[in-house]
Amino acid sequence: MIFNIQRFSIYDGPGARTTVFFKGCNLKCKWCHNPESISAKRQLEFYPDKCIGCGKCFEVCPQKAHRIDADRGHYIDRKQCIACMKCVDTCYAEALTAVGQEVTAEYVVKSVSADIPYYERSGGGVTYSGGECMQQIDFLAEIMAALHKEGVHQAVDTAGNQPWDRFERILPYTDVFLYDVKAADAETHRRLTGVSNERILENLRKLAATDKRVWIRIPYIPGCNTEEMPAIAELLRDIPVEKIEIMPFHRLGESKYKALDLENTGTICTVPNDDELEKTVREFRRAGLNAYRS
Amino acid sequence: MRILNEEKTQLSPLYSQRIRKLHNDKVRDTAAKIQLKLNHDSDDWGFIWFPEFKFKAPVETDARPLYGARNLGKLLRRFLNEMPKYVNKDSALGGAWVGPMLDRKFFDVTMDVNPEAAAPEDLIACWQKYHTFPGYMGMNHCGPDMSIGLKLGWQGLLEKVRYYREFNAPADTGFYDGEEQVVLGMQEYVRLLAEKARELAEAESDLTARKNLLEIAEMNEHLVTGVPRTLREACQFLAHFQIVDRTYMNGGALNQLDELLRPYYERDTDAGILTDEEAVWYIASLFFNDTHYSQIAGLTPDGSRDMTSRMSFIILDALHYLHIPINIALRVSDKVNETLLRRSLEYCAEDGSGVDYSLNIGAEEGFARNGYPLELARLRAKVGCNWTALPGIEYSLQDVTRCNMAMAFWYAMQDVRSDPGLEKLWERFCFHTRVIVDSIKRGYDKHYEVVGKVTPEIVLNLFMHGPIERGLNASQGVDIVDFNIDGIALATVADSFAAIEQRVVNEKRITWEKMYEVLDADYEGYEDVRLMFANIKRFGNPESLAEKWAIRIRDYFVGVCKEHGTPKHNLPIIPGMFSHGDIYMHGSWLPATPNGRRSGEAISHSNEPDPGFARGLDSFSPTLKANAVALARPGYGNSAPLHLDIDYDMLEREGGVDALIALIHTHNHMGGMLINLNILSEKVLLEAHADPSTHPDLVVRVTGYSAFFNTLSKEYRQQVVDRFLSRKHS
Repeated sequence: MIFNIQRFSIYDGPGARTTVFFKGCNLKCKWCHNPESISAKRQLEFYPDKCIGCGKCFEVCPQKAHRIDADRGHYIDRKQCIACMKCVDTCYAEALTAVGQEVTAEYVVKSVSADIPYYERSGGGVTYSGGECMQQIDFLAEIMAALHKEGVHQAVDTAGNQPWDRFERILPYTDVFLYDVKAADAETHRRLTGVSNERILENLRKLAATDKRVWIRIPYIPGCNTEEMPAIAELLRDIPVEKIEIMPFHRLGESKYKALDLENTGTICTVPNDDELEKTVREFRRAGLNAYRS
Repeated sequence: MRILNEEKTQLSPLYSQRIRKLHNDKVRDTAAKIQLKLNHDSDDWGFIWFPEFKFKAPVETDARPLYGARNLGKLLRRFLNEMPKYVNKDSALGGAWVGPMLDRKFFDVTMDVNPEAAAPEDLIACWQKYHTFPGYMGMNHCGPDMSIGLKLGWQGLLEKVRYYREFNAPADTGFYDGEEQVVLGMQEYVRLLAEKARELAEAESDLTARKNLLEIAEMNEHLVTGVPRTLREACQFLAHFQIVDRTYMNGGALNQLDELLRPYYERDTDAGILTDEEAVWYIASLFFNDTHYSQIAGLTPDGSRDMTSRMSFIILDALHYLHIPINIALRVSDKVNETLLRRSLEYCAEDGSGVDYSLNIGAEEGFARNGYPLELARLRAKVGCNWTALPGIEYSLQDVTRCNMAMAFWYAMQDVRSDPGLEKLWERFCFHTRVIVDSIKRGYDKHYEVVGKVTPEIVLNLFMHGPIERGLNASQGVDIVDFNIDGIALATVADSFAAIEQRVVNEKRITWEKMYEVLDADYEGYEDVRLMFANIKRFGNPESLAEKWAIRIRDYFVGVCKEHGTPKHNLPIIPGMFSHGDIYMHGSWLPATPNGRRSGEAISHSNEPDPGFARGLDSFSPTLKANAVALARPGYGNSAPLHLDIDYDMLEREGGVDALIALIHTHNHMGGMLINLNILSEKVLLEAHADPSTHPDLVVRVTGYSAFFNTLSKEYRQQVVDRFLSRKHS
């Protein structure tokens, strides 16, 4: 199950890349800007500003989940909705859309292969992101094995909270890991993401001991984890990685929370200013780390 | 062998200020033209508007009838004499054109009607029915070889005309007489220009400016009869050409500019009489003079190396420092100088727009498919807004036709209304497309026979190989005569076919009858149906129904263009797919179509997908669009441009420039023809769209031509904004 294929991305690894977004994640980060990636199931999004009021969704919904009341206008009773997507099929205005599509590994391979000439020219390739792409390890491994045969450069963007044997399955095909470090302290990590970071850091150390390139990605989230930065820097001094990217919080995911009727836990976060980001990067560099602002 | 200096030219305060003043003058002159709506939605061009200058023709002294080489030559000579002589003290060059002589929007000129020039009535009816731009009596749109003029100078050209008049001794010397009038007119103009510069010098108190004005005066005095000896004189001669070429019929093609000027640059620098900053100033002054189209870089005819020289870098620096609408293409091949390519992108990021990228594989190998040697095809330079031509030897008549395939589709829809079916619709679409293409071909036969008698290329003939030697207008007098036909509205038609196949035939969500009812109502009261048609996987989505239709339509259009030449003279046809910015005009004549497009709305651009095409799992990306344009290219070397409007943020990021370079090279290898690139900030673009006066400096590439954003109508500005925002909204 994936929810997006983004071509010509320069944000997810070296060169011009195609990023495949997998659906489903086993972390619940408070600042997540891809809330549609958390659930592993197909989800219904509703954008009322696109609705033309044709009423067809009310007619076809077997659960009568489309409702109207004076305060909320047209809304979806999520408890009733079974995500059958019959309403999506009739919503030509695309106010209702289904997030997530079950596709075969063959489909993904064919789709991303169209841009192989761009990868070859730019030193780019394919990046698997999410959600957590390793949650669907069989699917992921099948895609990666096929593209490995074609010589495509492949990057895995992971939060690392996976059994090590899953890493072992894709190690032969992976050229670079984009590995998230969100907090150094285990309890803080649990508070911010719902899980401890012990397995994550253990996997990172094992990964760093392989011959694979590892890029660390650190979300910089005022209101959540900025106090963790010195400890993260300290932690990373002992782990040999190629590059560290500091990624500032942004609010681009807000509309998606609304469309999914999910509580936006990121409202406690603020967008950092340039000065504090630059300062953080400098401090990482002072610690001998190859840090950049993303 | 010279070591190539790839450094950016550093300007001293004197030259920096001169070029800055030229920039400011251009912004000021543009503001005046905007007020008078003299350059709306078009290339900025370089003309200076003199409201007090009036020109009327015919007057008693004019030779009649007012058509044909001799009499138009005489008229042009009178115009050149009477028009104001413009000299800017900050420019290295003298002169400016003051408006197109034969355009009634500018001057009170009425040409006489040549009865031979009338197109057959049945053709006129056909063109009116389908809103066809037939290219009949089209002018310019082929490329001159300016080395002819640089070697001979105006006096040499005069002697050449007189020599061949005597040598060929035609019964009617009108052709040569007209050419003679043009050259004499230019010599008189250049002499008067020199006088004007001297007069201004005498009144000038600033010693530096005075010295410059005197140099302009001396240079022009020399060029009345002398050949250009230095880079500055060569640039002045090219400016003379730009002036007369625009004045006569609004011509806009120049040449392979770096190679043309390289010998002068090398000679002058070897002699120690030229610095790079002076060279940059000369070129900036040439660009200030006019926006004629030129190319830099590209392969030598044998394909062994890229032609990039120090002159290529100088031209790029001039474009960057002057920062006004300028039309330079950089020809990209695998051997392109990567520093030049990278610098052009860095300048584009800094300035918002810059060069466009002419791609050698699509342009050269495509042209070679017409039966020409690849070695010849490599010379086909990008000298028009979206098109290429062999300088001096090809009468290509590019960019003057529009075969609106959406009109063919609309008539096909009416034909099958009583007994509808998808294949029947296709058959009728093919029928109407063929009718349009055949009508253009017949028109070209007649054009070929008569254009030289009505509006001969009296300026371009001087700079082509053959016309003067043979006593024939360029349309008959050069070695290679071919005619372009541009098919437009590819995505509009492909998406319409696909919408019918998906929604009516396959899914049966709506009947044919109901669809006709909805279209007749222009979707009024049927917004849900409109969106149902609009929100299919449109052309641009890989493996979509619309993509299949786009290929089928392209194949048919190309096939019908190429299956035979013009019916009478068997002149070759080369298909292209370029709509220019005319998508609104052509849309305004077209009723509602089943791609969700309402009556009067724009048609799709060239062979590009519509903005907002990406659907489903595939988000918009430049590569998605580039792949579609390359896939649906006509493939014979004529236009099929890709417009890319990239967010400035991308270029700021590490790897951003590298990614764009990869995109340019890859589009080349996929067979793409041309990339028109803007690198814009969303904030600035939206501010300028809301109130164009807030950013008078903003230059954008509209299609192949660049223009100040504030000279564009709301519709044209919207075109750029839609392209830019489509990356976010799909």
